[in-house]
Amino acid sequence: MMETGNFFVLFLSLCGIGVILSALLPERKNPLILAWVTSLAAIMILLASGKVLLSDQVWQTELWMLPFLGRLVLKMDHLSALFIFVTGLVFFPVSIFSAGYMPKYVGHYNLKTFSVFYHLLFGTTVLVLVSGDIFSFLLAWEATSIFCYLLVNFEHESEETTRSGFLMLAMSEAGTLVAALAFLILANASSSIDFASLKSASIHLGVLARWWVFLLSFFGFGVKAGLVPSNTWLPRAHPIATGNVSALLSGIILNLGIYGIVRLNVDLLPANQLGQGLIVLIVGSVSALVGILYATTENDMKKMLAHSSIENMGIVTAGLGAGFVFMASEHPVLAGIAFITAFYHLTNHSLYKSLLFLGAGAIDSSVGNRNMDRLGGLIRQMPWTAFFFLAGTLSIVALPPFNGFVSEWLTLQTMLQSSALSSAAVKIVFALCGAGLALTAALAVTCFVKAFSMSFLGITRSSMARKSREISRSMLIPMAILAIFCLLLGVLPTYTIPILDKTVSSLVQESVIDELVPPFFTLSKGDGKFGEAFVSEFHDLGAQTGKDFLPGRGLVVLHRGSEKNPVIFAMSSSYTLVMLLLLLGGTFVVVRMLTKERKVMRQPAWDGGLRRLLPEMAYTATGFSNPVRVVFNAIFRPSTVEDTKEMVAKHFRTAIKNGRKEVHIVDRTMFHPVVEFMQSTSMFLGKMHSGSVNVYTAYVLITLIVALFVQLLL
Amino acid sequence: MSNWVLKGLQTGIKTTSYPGREEVASGVSPGLPVGKKEPGGEAISLISRCPTHAIRQMGQQILVDYRRCINCFRCVRGVQEALDWNSGYEWAAYMRTNDGTTPWLEKVFGRSLHILFVDGGACGACISELEQLNKPFYNIHRLGFFITPTPRKADILLIAGPITDHMRLPIQKAFDGMPTPKRVMAIGSCALSGGIFGPSFASEEGVQKLIPVDVGVPGCPPPPLAIIHGLLLAVSRKSPASLISFGSVDGRKNS
Amino acid sequence: MERPLDSAVKLENLPEEIAGRWPDQVQVYLDPQNGLCLMECEASVLMEVCSYLFSKQGFSFASLVVEEEHAEFSLRYIFYLENGQVHILHQISKTKARVPSISHLVHAADWHEREAEDLFGLVFEGHPRLGDFVLHEEWSEGVNPMRAGFDPSKPYVHREVNPYWRPVRIVQAPGAFMMPIGPIYSDFAESAHFLLETVGEDVIRTIPRFFYKYRGVEKIAEGRRADEVLLLAERFSGISAFAHSLAFCQAVEEISKVEVPPRAKALRIFFAELERLRHHVSSIASICGSTALAVATSQASIIEEELLRLCCAVTGHRYLFGLNTPGGVTMDFNNEVLQNLADTVQGLFKKLDDLKQMLRLSSSFLDRLEEVGIVSLESAASYGLVGPIARASGINRDLRRVLPYSGYEKVEFIIPCEQEGDGYARLRVLFSEAEQSVNIIRQVASSLSSGPTISPPFEVTPGAALGWAEAPKGATFHWVRTGEDGRVVRYRVTPPSFTNWHGFHLAAENFAFQDFPIIMATFGLSNAESDR
Repeated sequence: MMETGNFFVLFLSLCGIGVILSALLPERKNPLILAWVTSLAAIMILLASGKVLLSDQVWQTELWMLPFLGRLVLKMDHLSALFIFVTGLVFFPVSIFSAGYMPKYVGHYNLKTFSVFYHLLFGTTVLVLVSGDIFSFLLAWEATSIFCYLLVNFEHESEETTRSGFLMLAMSEAGTLVAALAFLILANASSSIDFASLKSASIHLGVLARWWVFLLSFFGFGVKAGLVPSNTWLPRAHPIATGNVSALLSGIILNLGIYGIVRLNVDLLPANQLGQGLIVLIVGSVSALVGILYATTENDMKKMLAHSSIENMGIVTAGLGAGFVFMASEHPVLAGIAFITAFYHLTNHSLYKSLLFLGAGAIDSSVGNRNMDRLGGLIRQMPWTAFFFLAGTLSIVALPPFNGFVSEWLTLQTMLQSSALSSAAVKIVFALCGAGLALTAALAVTCFVKAFSMSFLGITRSSMARKSREISRSMLIPMAILAIFCLLLGVLPTYTIPILDKTVSSLVQESVIDELVPPFFTLSKGDGKFGEAFVSEFHDLGAQTGKDFLPGRGLVVLHRGSEKNPVIFAMSSSYTLVMLLLLLGGTFVVVRMLTKERKVMRQPAWDGGLRRLLPEMAYTATGFSNPVRVVFNAIFRPSTVEDTKEMVAKHFRTAIKNGRKEVHIVDRTMFHPVVEFMQSTSMFLGKMHSGSVNVYTAYVLITLIVALFVQLLL
Repeated sequence: MSNWVLKGLQTGIKTTSYPGREEVASGVSPGLPVGKKEPGGEAISLISRCPTHAIRQMGQQILVDYRRCINCFRCVRGVQEALDWNSGYEWAAYMRTNDGTTPWLEKVFGRSLHILFVDGGACGACISELEQLNKPFYNIHRLGFFITPTPRKADILLIAGPITDHMRLPIQKAFDGMPTPKRVMAIGSCALSGGIFGPSFASEEGVQKLIPVDVGVPGCPPPPLAIIHGLLLAVSRKSPASLISFGSVDGRKNS
Repeated sequence: MERPLDSAVKLENLPEEIAGRWPDQVQVYLDPQNGLCLMECEASVLMEVCSYLFSKQGFSFASLVVEEEHAEFSLRYIFYLENGQVHILHQISKTKARVPSISHLVHAADWHEREAEDLFGLVFEGHPRLGDFVLHEEWSEGVNPMRAGFDPSKPYVHREVNPYWRPVRIVQAPGAFMMPIGPIYSDFAESAHFLLETVGEDVIRTIPRFFYKYRGVEKIAEGRRADEVLLLAERFSGISAFAHSLAFCQAVEEISKVEVPPRAKALRIFFAELERLRHHVSSIASICGSTALAVATSQASIIEEELLRLCCAVTGHRYLFGLNTPGGVTMDFNNEVLQNLADTVQGLFKKLDDLKQMLRLSSSFLDRLEEVGIVSLESAASYGLVGPIARASGINRDLRRVLPYSGYEKVEFIIPCEQEGDGYARLRVLFSEAEQSVNIIRQVASSLSSGPTISPPFEVTPGAALGWAEAPKGATFHWVRTGEDGRVVRYRVTPPSFTNWHGFHLAAENFAFQDFPIIMATFGLSNAESDR
């Protein structure tokens, strides 16, 4: 097999070839080029990062030497490899999807530019992840932001698109600036700019500097990750982007923010203050809750998925926060488990969110409308889309045997491990955040039950939906690939966790694999490492099943504990799948056997005896989520725009109009006050501009006098 | 705060012991006219007095067709020779023969029958009598009968009222929406013959014209005990009466 | 604030007032002995005159009777105040069957006009909501069953094969939809269709669709003898059979100028109140049942069944069928039997009173009734609501007082009235009226005069008259016109449920889903009675 470096070079050259081909070849061929080249590139990068992930080596190259700054380094360690792997996993199907999805823009917008930027985005994203020094990191980061903006702004004729895209760019730049400050503080303490020297120099930093680095990097990268309080751009950017770009945005770009946070606060400058971890935890939980609340009450499918991305990023961040707290409290094993959970959820989210976004893109291209109040009954016209979308839905609501279950379950279990901590205040925070995450999980179920059933099931609510057709195979196959990935990662957690463990152990300096997925061992004596009580519980839980023919460590994820409590938690989604198949299959067989003589009657659904059930009589998405809107009214605070009753001739009422306007809570509590403050300050200061030359001369005079005064005093 | 539990216990049990024992309280049934086997001369005039032509002559006897009788009492009040009166309540009868192909409900649902009631234009009296079934005096739950609002769970369809024009479609849909095995029971003389409303431009001549009826309970309105008799008849826990006076008691064949 | 029982303008002064306002356009004929005032009105001032009577002078709207003659339709708007009726007549030619609608100002006439449009084909100009009322979508346009040329004996062979029908939506909010209820929707509910417009939490508005139980009683009565039509009057709404048959009989007696003997009148009062009592107990049972207070429901049901058995034991029928006949009642009773009946009823009322005391103290029960389904006094007055529902909203009108019939002027009783107009107020009115009914029964039983219970046999002469009664659900009006051979030529029934269903949507606005059955139960209306 070739080396990682070779694969990497191949990847870069493929990106370059893609750019050239896209620019030269006619527009019609561009989607196909895009699909082929980028999927090949994705395979290359998967192989490259896969090699690093599965082995213990780290790949590194040194590039040019810059004066005054130091050496530019490209380094793929396990953390980078994980993120690159996920990137490749997402890019592969999205690229294939683009082949069938992009042709609808022929004639409206320039597909060549799209292809070019797409390839460039792929390249720069990976470059961000392999950067080994500040300069290349920031360079690649900026390039990624710009290409991302260009792709998101693809449909630039619409004013809303340009506005939302610009907001995204502006906030991203602001975040980058803040994060760059964090890098500066670090660089100030060390001699050169590559990460290795930063890491060694960071040990000497004082508490104040640590806090500054933490706050700047967390909130700076948090913008990119879509955390509260800087998530305003996310629900605006997603609906305007094309279907495949939305998938990339959620599945890859958001991960970059998390990568930045982890790189800075776990690798370069490990967070060792309890407060830092708590801040991360709280911000994560609040993001999760706010995200899912707005997702539940949103009718536009892409906006809903955007809010849901905020929620999932919040869960990842909460897991990271728990890890920071455990690290600061000298519990490296628990910290390792927390980080494994966070990375697992990150991977899962990338997969199922891309799947859902591709599904939303499919609906959009087939029906022409994304508003769930206009859809309905699509399962009849688009059965396969519905099937794969269902797989994505089941994953995101954390139902076994899909992948969402594993990471969500592990997250909640990690929260429960706060019992190992000593401080009561910290435990209370953990409990509250855990409760918040549980509420989030419940609301997620509501949200996605609504999303799936209002779009695919029930009665068709509009003529657009009635006329839709199943999408092409080139769009179905990537959804199938992602669905299979979701299922695999759900059924085989015991094979995924060892891979993640390699990444985490390099960060936490301790391998937690034995704590989470103990290997098979011989029955009679157990190992010296495992106590008696644990061995017996190990057997009782069936963790020994498949000892002789299953590769790896078995099918049960369990966490070891002390002598009194040998197994703290245990789960096996693989067994769950087996049981599900047995039960469902068995029931099917039994029913078939018993009902051989009955006949089947098909009648329309019972509707109380009406002539026909009209679309007006079906529950709408708004109606379904209205209870949530009412219960959490304090957060939504809708303001009434219109509440009129029209009458004809005094007694005959013809219309009752009810319009509501909602402002996002983050906007309401943070941005609007800040913006208003700045505007009022500017207005106030603007009074200085009176227009009269004499006043300006007076200003100059005053300034001169003040400056001379100050000079005299000092 | 009122003590409802105590109140309920103090009231005691009011439920009738029918079908275990005959119910003998006064006022449980208005009764139906019985024909006359040996009528006197005046009785012939009763035939023209009956507004729904329920009374007719067959040979020597005067017969009453219970499907048509609307309890107007004109054959017993203000006449010189009144018809005899049956003050019982076991009036239900089969309207279709058991042709042996499908099992009668007793084999499947004898002790647990789910009833769907559809109002095909009934005046409030039949519905009021039906409502008494779930009330303390009659309480059909002890017999294993339950009411359901959806045809998917129903075993027997109860219809009262002449089928009005606008209720044809809903009744047809309710009947189609019931899974087999299913039965239909028509309650009251409106459902059996249209009563005084049908047939007309707005009412049908009874349920039989729309969907096949298995059990009929005459009366206007049939008292709750008669309806219970009908339900017990549907699950073959009781024997049928006849829809025409002096008809065959066996009841399996009716004209 | 009760409507004052004595009005400012007496019937005698009406001709002057009318002549003063509309000098040449309205002809007024006064018949003071019968308390009847006839007005013939031109189309241009029809709305003003009706509005003047309804809004300014506080007349109640009883009914709109449309009769078809050879070359024209004659419309009769019937208003009443105490001891007096005003009939406003208006003729329109058959070729130009257009009438100005009065529903904007006299909203109580809304449904009457819609019914006339559907069944006669008249056009009421200015009415914004004609069409799709009585006849549903299977009936083609232009077929009007009440017209003379229509043959009622045969089923009407349809029609539209796949007719188009869409409900008229009122709520315009994003994501609003309608929850369909019915026509088959509950255990023993009557067939009716409701569309509840909602945005998911509260129901904003209710749109009902009735006449699923339309049996065409008014049409099939034409050409029948009076005693046959009596059967129709009894049986189109079996739970108020006695009251409707009483109203019909009084109409026929009025036409033929027959004097009903005093004993018969007293017996009629007796059984009418007995029916009212049983009906109110049934309503109370259904209100308790709608709130799922099982023991209270059972208690009320026990009383109801005992009353039914009492009726059957004494009169032979549980719902008092076959008791009324034009001229009197068909049976006589032993005074002792009636006295025993009165005592038994008194005993039953004691149980009812206990139930009432217990319900008053059940806060969870009252929570579900208080402030639920409120009908304000103004709405009730403008919709012309009648019966216990209107009296719970403050309209103190009862036909037994306003237009006394059958000897009610000699009986002492009060008309209970409440102000809040919510479910609890309606429940209290039901209890109070039940108490008054028991009082009346006792009074009548103890002061029964002797004599015949039916007038001598008579021929029904041709003529027309209005008969009325205060049925348990409210005021009912039966307009009967007989022809040469004593057969009924036109029969118009305005039952109280028809009037009150019109106002149902006032109560069923801005409520939570779960309250819908409770609001229905507190209104206690009957579709059989309304649809006829």
